[in-house]
Amino acid sequence: MKESLKVGVSGVRGIVGASFTPQLAASFAQAFGTFIGRGPVLVGRDTRPSGLMLEYAVVAGLQSVGCKPVLLGVVPTPTVLLMTKELGARGGIAITASHNAAEWNALKFVDRRGLFLEENRAQELFDVYHQQDFPMVEEADLPSTSTLANPVEPHFKRVVDYVDAAAIRKRRFRVAVDVVNGVGALYSVPFLRDLLGCEVVAVHDAPTGRFERDPEPLPEHLGALSRAVVEHACDIGFAQDPDGDRLAIVNERGQPIGEDLTLAFSARQVLEAHGKGPVAISLSCSRAVEDVVRGLGCEVTRTRIGETNVARVMQEQGAVVGGEHNGGVIIPEIHTCRDSFAAMAVILELLARTGKSVSAVRAEIPGYVMVRRKMPARAERAPEALRELRRHYTDRKMNFLDGLFIEFEQAWAHVRRSNTEPVVRLTVEAPDRTRADALADEIEQFVTAFLD
Amino acid sequence: MTLRLASFGVRGFVGESLTPRVAMDYAAAFGTFVDGGRVLLGRDTRYSSPMLHSAVLASLLSCGCEVLDFGICPTPVLQFSVRPYQAAGAISISGGHNQMGWNALTLLGRDGAFLDPATGEALLGAFHATDFLMRDAMSIGAREVVSDYFAPYLKALSAQVDREAIRRAGYTVLIDPVGGAGCPFLDDFAREFGLHLVAINQDPSGYLARDPEPRPRTARQMASFIRHVKGHVGFVLSSDMGRVSLVTDAGEPLSEEFTLPLLVRSLLRQQVGPVVTNCCTSRMVDDVVAAAGAPLLKTPVGQAFVAARMTDEQARVGGEGSGSVAVPEFSRGFDGFLAMALVLDMMARTKESLAALVRSLPRYHMVKKSAVSGSRTAYLVLDQFLAQSASFGAESVDLTDGVRLDWEDGWLHARVSHTEQIIRVLSEARTREVAERRAEEALRLIGQGL
Repeated sequence: MKESLKVGVSGVRGIVGASFTPQLAASFAQAFGTFIGRGPVLVGRDTRPSGLMLEYAVVAGLQSVGCKPVLLGVVPTPTVLLMTKELGARGGIAITASHNAAEWNALKFVDRRGLFLEENRAQELFDVYHQQDFPMVEEADLPSTSTLANPVEPHFKRVVDYVDAAAIRKRRFRVAVDVVNGVGALYSVPFLRDLLGCEVVAVHDAPTGRFERDPEPLPEHLGALSRAVVEHACDIGFAQDPDGDRLAIVNERGQPIGEDLTLAFSARQVLEAHGKGPVAISLSCSRAVEDVVRGLGCEVTRTRIGETNVARVMQEQGAVVGGEHNGGVIIPEIHTCRDSFAAMAVILELLARTGKSVSAVRAEIPGYVMVRRKMPARAERAPEALRELRRHYTDRKMNFLDGLFIEFEQAWAHVRRSNTEPVVRLTVEAPDRTRADALADEIEQFVTAFLD
Repeated sequence: MTLRLASFGVRGFVGESLTPRVAMDYAAAFGTFVDGGRVLLGRDTRYSSPMLHSAVLASLLSCGCEVLDFGICPTPVLQFSVRPYQAAGAISISGGHNQMGWNALTLLGRDGAFLDPATGEALLGAFHATDFLMRDAMSIGAREVVSDYFAPYLKALSAQVDREAIRRAGYTVLIDPVGGAGCPFLDDFAREFGLHLVAINQDPSGYLARDPEPRPRTARQMASFIRHVKGHVGFVLSSDMGRVSLVTDAGEPLSEEFTLPLLVRSLLRQQVGPVVTNCCTSRMVDDVVAAAGAPLLKTPVGQAFVAARMTDEQARVGGEGSGSVAVPEFSRGFDGFLAMALVLDMMARTKESLAALVRSLPRYHMVKKSAVSGSRTAYLVLDQFLAQSASFGAESVDLTDGVRLDWEDGWLHARVSHTEQIIRVLSEARTREVAERRAEEALRLIGQGL
């Protein structure tokens, strides 16, 4: 059985050359077109070598059911989301496997509000797909494709208009950016240099989709960026993921501060400089974010994991900022999606406004240690393991929004099945490394015993 | 039931039977067949061709093919180009002579001919089993746009004819490419041969202003004004530039059956060699080949069969009564540009008008009729017809493709169409009355079976 195909709330994702075929992509595009109805549909992709092949498949599928493909080419995923809404399109498809390895790719489906399909809507789409009945239009009604020139311009304008760009430009920051051979390789240098007046050093900046580092912006993958920050005496280092929705920070001494703090930095700046309001963060976010937000007198709501879930709660509550532990920051006044470009601008604005270094800002945020583990799991065994875990910790406070979130005195543990890989993910947070490791070991041993 | 799938092509009605899925699986089977090698890709201008083009591209790239994308390109030009571009094959997306709403993918082999039906079995196997070559994500194929392919084609075409004689004659020529794949290339063609070009339907919009099948009734528009512009010849083409019928300087729209015998006679006068055609082409061809003392070989209907036989027999020329001509020394494809150049060459060499050249051909009367048939019973009906055909008193019976009956003064042919749900009946004789009478009788017998 091919375990490499994942159909879920984050779209359809698989390994190209194995489970993820052009036929599958075309069928999903037909299902999506059938689902949303005839009209323009935006199509964007990241730099992965399979992106163009899948774009052709998606274009054929969309046209066949009467949707007019509007091609954005290689663009950040947030640009696809934003422009879908801005142009009043029927929907959008982002061809990207985001932080997954280069051989993966995926279709992610965007509704007319510029949001990824939420779970119930995604389920309806899959029902259409499984029915495999896509009424095609007659030849004379087949729509042509069109190309949108310079699609990032309106996106970046919104970002730059949101922040105090003059203050940022005045500081002439020296910035290193690791664009991981992804969409940032086309856009991040001009964005930081031309719009925000930074001096920019870029690493892994060939837009080939052949990732020269692990595409997840985790601290252990940011060696090249750290060296660049030190070598060029930069004020800050930014690490993006291949499709430009997530961001991690390296301080002025070349040390990664942890991607979970990207949201803490951003939330602080939004609340202090752009107005207070509610904040929504996903279950896996650090307590540090809660501490920062509460310290500024604002409310925090925890949501289920997943951009769609965070975005939906943010809309319901009128949140002014929110996001995820993985470096995904959402600022609704710009747009309701994770956007590394918005996060970079806001963090530079924070440094400009406070006049502080990255490590000084970091020092003002309470310290927690977070430990993340992945445990390989066949899909059918994961629920059983979670059930046994729930029985084991029956005296603890828990919530079941997404997998299992267990609260301890000064710590929490979150165990859930991944939506994107055949693994069970474990996140533990505690005030220090010893306590975090001990708790993680305890849970991992317990879960692994059931997965074997 | 509009899908027709064979090892050399798939044809269907867009939105009904020819879906992106069918096109993708079929292209993936071809990509598998050529083992991810270099493939040329061309298309016509029909509304559905860009969609099919995207579908085919996706599959070829997933097979790891290096795709040389010719964009809008006549099928015969693609066929010619396979060898010089050293490709493993090609896919042409074109509805050809079919009405709007239809489209097709045609598969071309390493030699530029329609894929030989005998060697395409493996391809059909891969298609039906959906067992395709898939390269991993880092070895996906690449697409390269090629736009300078017409000049070398035209140069080679010129070498097939007496270019200077044609240029000296200064012909006024009417060409109607029915808004198809030939549109962007007519001006270059006219310049090469010093023609005064009067083009009709030269806007490559994909809108078919007339029935795209070249024949007298689709040539009426041209026939109505060729004398007013003092045209020497008129050419009516299919949207893939594969077929051509002629309009004379006197304003007569000729049956498409004339194209082949006119050119066979002209070519055999220069050099004698074997001729290949299908088993229901006008007896005019038999007569001109016999007069030149050349061998004539007959095949089932369809370019794939004629092309395979041309290769086997090292033929001088081949073609079909649909207005199709190929010269294997030049290219393995039925080629409308070649046919136009050869007609001009014939006129320039003989210094005769087209009307005069046509007058010197033996004249027959051909009747084309059809009976609507169910898709599951057509061959049974044809078997019944064969059993009863003794009542016709024919001198010989041939079963190369369907049933052919021959008499001293004509012949009659009945076969199941490959593209429509019909049984076609062709009857040719020296007089229209005899041809009509035999066709009516055949239709009556077939009608009893249905």
